Amino acid sequence: MKSLFQIKMVLLLIVATGFVARAQDSRIQMGSLDHLAAKASQTVDVNIDGRLMAIAAKALSDHDADEKQVKKLVAGIKGIYVKSFEFDSDGQYSAADIESIRTQLRAPGWSRLVNVTSKKEGVIEVYLLLNGEQIGGLAVLSTDDKELTVVNIVGPVDLEKLAKLEGQLGIPELGIEAKPKTKNDEQ
Amino acid sequence: MKKIFCAIVLLTLAPAAVVPAKADDFNSVVKMIEQFYRVKHQGIPFLAKTGMKVATTAARIKGGEAKRIAEAGSIKLAVFEDQAFDGDFMKFRSSLNDALNETWIPLIQTLSAKNQEQTYIFLRSAAEKFNVLVITIADRDATVVQVTISPKNLAALMRDPEGTGKAITEEATIIDQE
Repeated sequence: MKSLFQIKMVLLLIVATGFVARAQDSRIQMGSLDHLAAKASQTVDVNIDGRLMAIAAKALSDHDADEKQVKKLVAGIKGIYVKSFEFDSDGQYSAADIESIRTQLRAPGWSRLVNVTSKKEGVIEVYLLLNGEQIGGLAVLSTDDKELTVVNIVGPVDLEKLAKLEGQLGIPELGIEAKPKTKNDEQ
Repeated sequence: MKKIFCAIVLLTLAPAAVVPAKADDFNSVVKMIEQFYRVKHQGIPFLAKTGMKVATTAARIKGGEAKRIAEAGSIKLAVFEDQAFDGDFMKFRSSLNDALNETWIPLIQTLSAKNQEQTYIFLRSAAEKFNVLVITIADRDATVVQVTISPKNLAALMRDPEGTGKAITEEATIIDQE
């Protein structure tokens, strides 16, 4: 009887751990791209998790202008993850590498924003994760012949905030801008 | 069964537990570099000087009023000069992250396969201030710098981790030139 109770408790813990994992759904797994670092001329890896955001919320003052600005910038964000690879020649990453990211962005809740363009060369894709009406996270996939960048921000980040975050906290300059709405978009 | 149950409970709760910060991580990282790359660092015991002197020196070398990032007397520096850093940098990165991940927050890590250059910046809380650990490994040289910074400089580090990390290393090595 006692061991039956213990088995039930173990199962309960496993289920509970599963729930914790599901709460992190807007986190994109980028480990499949790690092998590209050996071929890349430059690799940037940013892993700012919730611990730093908690520290920032507690430690940064509202009385100092610089501190206040950063505090405001990271408010609500639970994590910032970036992997960026620059290559000397074309064809160093495969379609399968990109697909490993896109597959995750096809999961329920994620949707690609079509009204986005970039000042940079190459293709840029911006995805938002919506939990009901709330934004749960954002992902950017930027590809060029010699460059592959994935940015994943966990938390309520829209395009306006993304524009403010570019070039800060290890997020590269993506040159993202919203396309002006056309009549077709409005229909 | 009881033991398995306890082990699962402990494993489940472990990530949430508060892990006390290790005071000797700087030395551990220096030793890790020495063991991994079979190199030896040069000790610079005279670096722990007063903040005023540091600021004056930095300002003099930079030819103006230099902005200090490190809190007075907080700089720990290990320098590796003119030695071969041959090794699988992916493996080193993995070992380093495994060793520091519990007590330090990784901010940014850059790797250059072509030049075999690596830069790692980690952060942790230290009472009301913060410790920053900057590890730079190039083809023939490396530096490990640990400093304490104020919340104001934390804001600067968060805004520009790479630039501020470079400035921290420069500040530490500028003192060395005195």
